[in-house]
Amino acid sequence: MERTIEFVLNGETKKVTVNDNQTLLEVLREKLDLTGTKKGCNQGECGACTVLLDGKPINSCLTLAVRIEGRSIMTIEGVAGKESLDPVQETFNEKGAIQCGFCTPGMVLTTKALLAENSNPTSAEIKEAISGNICRCSGYIKIIEAIQSLAEEQEVM
Amino acid sequence: MHLPDIVYLSPNKTTEALEVIEDCGNSCSVIAGGTDLMVALKQRLQTPKYLIGLENIPEFKKIEEKDESIRLGPMNTLDEISSSDLIKTKLPALSQAAREVGSPLLRSQATIGGNVCLNTRCRFYNQSQFWRSTREKCYKAGGSYCHVTKQKEKCNAAFVADLVPVLIAYGANIKLAGLAGEKMLSLKEFYTGDSCFPNQILNGDRVILTEIDIPIPKNNIRSVYKKFRFRRSIDFPLVGVAVSLDLDENNRCRDINILLTGVGSAPVEIKKAKKELLGQRWDDELVSSVASLASQEIRPLKTNLVSPRYTREIASLKIKEALQEAGGKNGKNY
Ligand SMILES: Cc1cc2nc3c(=O)[nH]c(=O)nc-3n(C[C@H](O)[C@H](O)[C@H](O)COP(=O)(O)OP(=O)(O)OC[C@H]3O[C@@H](n4cnc5c(N)ncnc54)[C@H](O)[C@@H]3O)c2cc1C
Ligand code: SF4
Ligand code: FES
Ligand code: FES
Repeated sequence: MERTIEFVLNGETKKVTVNDNQTLLEVLREKLDLTGTKKGCNQGECGACTVLLDGKPINSCLTLAVRIEGRSIMTIEGVAGKESLDPVQETFNEKGAIQCGFCTPGMVLTTKALLAENSNPTSAEIKEAISGNICRCSGYIKIIEAIQSLAEEQEVM
Repeated sequence: MHLPDIVYLSPNKTTEALEVIEDCGNSCSVIAGGTDLMVALKQRLQTPKYLIGLENIPEFKKIEEKDESIRLGPMNTLDEISSSDLIKTKLPALSQAAREVGSPLLRSQATIGGNVCLNTRCRFYNQSQFWRSTREKCYKAGGSYCHVTKQKEKCNAAFVADLVPVLIAYGANIKLAGLAGEKMLSLKEFYTGDSCFPNQILNGDRVILTEIDIPIPKNNIRSVYKKFRFRRSIDFPLVGVAVSLDLDENNRCRDINILLTGVGSAPVEIKKAKKELLGQRWDDELVSSVASLASQEIRPLKTNLVSPRYTREIASLKIKEALQEAGGKNGKNY
């Protein structure tokens, strides 16, 4: 069945017609051309499809698009400012926490959600937070270092 | 892997949901967080015409303390369960078990109701349609033969939900609502022991799980959950062990419940080993011998990628760990 849903996407109200059997991931990539959200396993294992739903990271491949009516979604396209990258993106770049970049949109969103909730996470808390975002390239060390240095910056500020 | 065609409904009341279930019969499925069902739909393990979402029924979100028990609505996410202060203090093992399911991404959508109603799993069944098409349909998928046991007409897929052994160890009851009315039953009774239709709902009863009630354990009761899986954020438990232990002032075992997930068609209660423990003075030697005895009570099958012997070995270790943590060293909680 087709229907029109309304929700907040990256800060702006959006109306879009979706089919009941479409996932949020499909709607973002195929209807809205927001291809920053990646399709990896398509079954809840890899975290490439991570978006923030009302501020919390979720797997968009396991979410029916019709269910986000009235809610707020942030994708990687909504993270950077008009002129400059977000500090999380900046720091991932600087610290070499990006290799092929496939996991990066998800990692960045999960990091933003983590730091919003806990400005000074321990290394164990960082590892737990990103445990649903699988990275094939980096070996995670650089990513954890990047998140740690972001936490330190927040401390200083 | 796209989803099959469906019509999505999200009623505001339990009765509305039940009316839809009555009208649609087998052609509808209830969807809670969808973390399990969405995969099953993509894999065409289920092909309902209607999906009934429970997110708009307000009372399904409750977490409250009443009459010496904690009452939980089925739509509380695992994230909400593990971070609730009430649950952390009164039911610490439940909080622990909720934290150990999948990844944080999954836990912000997965619900306790979905965990209680989870279907059984098997490496030959929980696969894509394409993967499954390369061999004969197994019994659970509508064929006649089980690829695990090479026998006919019986499925042995494993019950793997993490929260259930803890809930049973705590003595949880559940409320099921149907159009004819509500009934309360012990969670233990909800499971059929049949891997094809592992609980009363999957067995065809037209009811919805509406509440989980857990009696608050007395102060001296210690409960723990220990789980083993290979990849922390991805894999289901190979084995999970829940223990609730009541030691008297002389460190004798007054009561104990040991429940396992991952090693049978339903949650498995360890009974013989329990008898060995009742009335005994708690010490490390007793714990070690009983853990290995307990692991002989289970019959794991190769529904996953490891040998049953390996599973039994791991079960023994995890039971020992759980008993040690619950009782502390020689019964002195530390
Ligand atoms: C990568 C991955 C890893 C996972 N790891 C684990 C793990 O380690 N341990 C574990 O236990 N699970 C695991 N799961 C399975 C699942 O995420 C959880 O069990 C979760 O708690 C299921 O809840 P849900 O709300 O998503 O259920 P859903 O998928 O919405 O539903 C599951 C089943 O329950 C039924 N149902 C749900 N609520 C009700 C209700 N109120 N009344 C009647 N029927 C109902 C549905 O019809 C369906 O049959 C994993 C899943 C994935 C994808
Ligand atoms: S245990 Fe046997 S019948 Fe059951 S799902 Fe596995 S292969 Fe199929
Ligand atoms: S694509 Fe969603 S978790 Fe892998
Ligand atoms: S950078 Fe390649 S998957 Fe993470």
